[in-house]
Amino acid sequence: MRLLTHNYLISNVKGTKEGYPLQIEAEEVVIEDSPFDQELVTGILPKLNYEAVIGALHQVADKVEPKPADIPEKLPEGEIDTATLEALYHVLFNIHVIEGHLVCPDTGRKFPIKQGIPNMILHEDEI
Amino acid sequence: MSRPELSGHASIFYNEREARKYNSSSRMVNVQREITLRAIELLLLSPDKASYILDIGCGSGLSGQVLEEKGHIWVGCDVSRDMLQVAHERIDDSFDGNNKNVENDEGSDEVHDPPLSTGDLLHHDMGTGLPFRPATFDACISISALQWLCYSNSASQNPKRRLLRFFSQLYAILKKSARAVLQFYPETAEQAVLISECATAVGFGGGVVVDYPNSTKAKKHYLVLSCDRTSSKQVQQSMPSVEEQTHVSVSAASRKGIDKPIRKKKGIKTKEWIIKKKETQRKRGKSVRPDTKYTARRRPTKF
Repeated sequence: MRLLTHNYLISNVKGTKEGYPLQIEAEEVVIEDSPFDQELVTGILPKLNYEAVIGALHQVADKVEPKPADIPEKLPEGEIDTATLEALYHVLFNIHVIEGHLVCPDTGRKFPIKQGIPNMILHEDEI
Repeated sequence: MSRPELSGHASIFYNEREARKYNSSSRMVNVQREITLRAIELLLLSPDKASYILDIGCGSGLSGQVLEEKGHIWVGCDVSRDMLQVAHERIDDSFDGNNKNVENDEGSDEVHDPPLSTGDLLHHDMGTGLPFRPATFDACISISALQWLCYSNSASQNPKRRLLRFFSQLYAILKKSARAVLQFYPETAEQAVLISECATAVGFGGGVVVDYPNSTKAKKHYLVLSCDRTSSKQVQQSMPSVEEQTHVSVSAASRKGIDKPIRKKKGIKTKEWIIKKKETQRKRGKSVRPDTKYTARRRPTKF
């Protein structure tokens, strides 16, 4: 699971108010390099919840080898330089959570991640 | 073959063996590719921009592969873990660099040639809603999956409620002016009506497009939906709540198949019958001998 996908995921278990952002309890994280695409990142930026990206990055930080380039804690206003965009691209597209859990912030429901695929299946009584 | 939907839950039907078929059978691959290309055509995406697309019932990722070739980013969800496993292996292969490119036999001048997969997978049941933030996706496709929602596999699963839940959440997670194209195989005409009714009940505009309507085999139903946010409020007001609708019996009758009255056989190969049959064959584009005065004439009896 990419951190980009994590940025869009919410929990919709019964009893959640917001269900966002999901906490990541990572056990295994890998980096799969892919070529930087500036248009892609700038296209995504308006929809991105930047705080959630920072939060997710902190949660997986100690499992990521090698360490990704720093991205600013707050999204700078106006024009963003290419180096920042590149770092952001790396964080969003290249960091994959392979094993671990996603935890709903409201109910504490855990969604397991196995082989990079989060299991978001709910039982009929959880809806 | 009988319909797989009747055999139980999708995650049970699409076991490892069935999932492997989807990657090895070239016929299945080609059919899926063709449907996906048609679905993308119906989406009317802006051609110069990469879109963020949700693929519901992505299975082994065949449709995702087509999306990648067109340069889009996608997230696939499926209820079958085994199918996802196959998709996952394919994506892994693409990272390892031994990605065998599928030959593009159809007008492939615009087709991108991505060395890496842009997809991400999710194990999820679409009948229980979609776990995404509102207004996330530029488009949504679904290939041969929607009909599974018309069947219930346990007492707690109500097809209509599941359909409504699915469509209302789909409506929420799509961006303004986004489109969704969902290809499905309805078992009966009622099922197609039920599905499109549920879609319009939550505020979607659009309807069903049928390709090759005269052929039983090649016939394909595409539910093309668009979020028209301006007119949605009135529709939602007139929409009865889910609780009121649950008493509507959905597919109990259509599943068993309504008992047809047994017809008596009487001289079936009459001239009218043969001409009618030839006419239908002609409509399906088959080569049929012209109607002449010899059509349906009896052969001379042997002595």
